[in-house]
Amino acid sequence: MNKTQKIESMMEVVRILAGLVIAYAIALAILFAISEDPIYIVQQFILGPFSSPRRIGTVINLAIPFTICGLSMCFMYAVNKFNLVGEGIFMLSACMVTWVSLLLGPGLPSVVMLPIMFIVAILTGIVVSFIPAIMDRKFNANVVVVSLMLNSVIQSLATWILRYQVRDSSISYLGSREIPESIQLPKILGSFRVQSGLIVAIICVIVVAILFYKTAFGWKMRLVGANPRFATAVGLSSISISFIAQLAGGAFAGIAGATEMMCNYTRFQWTVTTQHGFDGLLVAVLAKKNPVLVPIGALFLAYIRIGADVVNTSGDIPTEFVTVIQGIIILLVAAESFLSGTKNKLIFKAAEKEEKEKEAKAA
Amino acid sequence: MTIDWIAFIAEGIRMATPLVFAALAALICNRAGMFNMGVEGMILCSALGAVIFAHYGGSVWIGLLGGIIIGLATGMFIAFASLTGKADLYLTCIAFNLMATGGTVFVMYLLTGEKSTTSGAFRSYQIPVVDIPIIKDIPVLGRIISGQSLITYIAAAAVFFMWFFLKRTRIGLRIRAVGENPKAAESVGISVNKIGYISFAICGVLAGLSGAFMSMSWVTFFMKNMVNGRGYIGLSAQNMAKGEPVGSALASLLFGFTDALATTLQNQTNFPVEFLEMLPYLATIFAIIITSIIAINKRRRIEQGAAK
Repeated sequence: MNKTQKIESMMEVVRILAGLVIAYAIALAILFAISEDPIYIVQQFILGPFSSPRRIGTVINLAIPFTICGLSMCFMYAVNKFNLVGEGIFMLSACMVTWVSLLLGPGLPSVVMLPIMFIVAILTGIVVSFIPAIMDRKFNANVVVVSLMLNSVIQSLATWILRYQVRDSSISYLGSREIPESIQLPKILGSFRVQSGLIVAIICVIVVAILFYKTAFGWKMRLVGANPRFATAVGLSSISISFIAQLAGGAFAGIAGATEMMCNYTRFQWTVTTQHGFDGLLVAVLAKKNPVLVPIGALFLAYIRIGADVVNTSGDIPTEFVTVIQGIIILLVAAESFLSGTKNKLIFKAAEKEEKEKEAKAA
Repeated sequence: MTIDWIAFIAEGIRMATPLVFAALAALICNRAGMFNMGVEGMILCSALGAVIFAHYGGSVWIGLLGGIIIGLATGMFIAFASLTGKADLYLTCIAFNLMATGGTVFVMYLLTGEKSTTSGAFRSYQIPVVDIPIIKDIPVLGRIISGQSLITYIAAAAVFFMWFFLKRTRIGLRIRAVGENPKAAESVGISVNKIGYISFAICGVLAGLSGAFMSMSWVTFFMKNMVNGRGYIGLSAQNMAKGEPVGSALASLLFGFTDALATTLQNQTNFPVEFLEMLPYLATIFAIIITSIIAINKRRRIEQGAAK
């Protein structure tokens, strides 16, 4: 690694941290401006998520779907296709797991049921993400628009399944029948009450990290994303690589939805999509498409979300302000001009220094 | 089952109005070489802006102006992030739409204490309906053409203005030049960034009108996530028409009719609502496939012709 590359990768970290600090400062400023008891509220926002083992557990629990969705978006983002269908897959996968498990009934043991459920989730993900991916491949249709339209279709489809196939008419609200106990995953780690989905998330991170950095496909994928023309020039089919990457991304979004369903709920009851797909995009952007860093991004996002929840219950602040903060973070991290002056100055200085050293040596 | 076809057509035109504006807003950016998905969020912000301005200004016209101002402001925001900040336009727009979804609820809550709609707290204003003399007395045509919202007529005019603007004015030519080949345009002294900002400004005004229609004519209040993908549908409409204003308007009209069909069937049959709700989005997906196939076939024919 030469000096310029070193400075560039260092500035990348500085930029992300600076972006987070600025966005966090804006969040605090908003809280200060609108709450009646600003000091208490800000204190709650910062420290609230750590105030009890239970809450720390909640942060981790929230980070689990964010991590898996972040991994899913890493695939899409790595090949520069903003396929946002993960949002719909997350909902549909939870719905399909509910439906299939109810059809199979409570007779089968967990050892048989759980693999079936994950296969259902992965298949759902692959089948759904196949639609925008094949349209991108065959017809050169815009992946973003198609995936967003598809999300709306999926939302209606999942609601239809809920209303007409799995609905429990004995409860007062719209919800499915209870899923069999064999697929309700237990809580672990004692008083932290962490979901066993943590294990799924860790396995996923390891698998994706190996896939990205230790296999030929991962290398091809990263090359296609970084420089598609170069990839084509050296004989890679960038179209089919990005196609497969999108299917893989869909599969992980499916796993995320199923895990969330089996860990956190006993009944399927969503009638709108859950924003997890977009949260996954934020996490992938924060992690700079690096699967190893995804859990850190997910934990940060979960931390500010729980902070907002705490503030919402202890004060009169709506949780929606977090989405604004989330948008600002994406913008700051994505903006190439942000701190580019400083970066160029540093590179220039390093080059100047090197030049002087050379001159000194020559003399 | 009896359907009042005349009312259905009138409803289709009404539903197409926000889509036409959305399509034109996306079109002007597209012609300047920018794929602006942010239209969705811009319309949402303008819809809220219109309601707020109308309530505090006490007049529907102040509301309309407010919608346009907010549309303009959000357009400038995206332009700043992507042109000056050099952020990836896709990411910028996705981030912006996210902010718009949460931000509108946040602002609505601060002002009204409600999280789903402003209908209880804010006075509702409606943009006047125009009855055209003479035409309104013609039997069938009168019920379709006359009696629409003022903004619907503005939309029809905007389509022809857009055509004129792009084809017959100097700035329109420059926008097209930048869109076709930014490097070539730059080399003859056109500032690509300036043209980008101008396109986003026009886009903002159009998105503002679309938003004002949503919250002051389609319904007379703001509700959470009320745009519901219309920005994206408009975007696909202009994409299908390859950035031609009249074609984009016709495509928007088609989607407007799909929307009206869904509402009509919902009221008059007991077909599951969920499948009717899918209609506009499914129609968009199929329309994208069909236009792409046509485009591909056309290119193939040209290539074959060249080979001979």
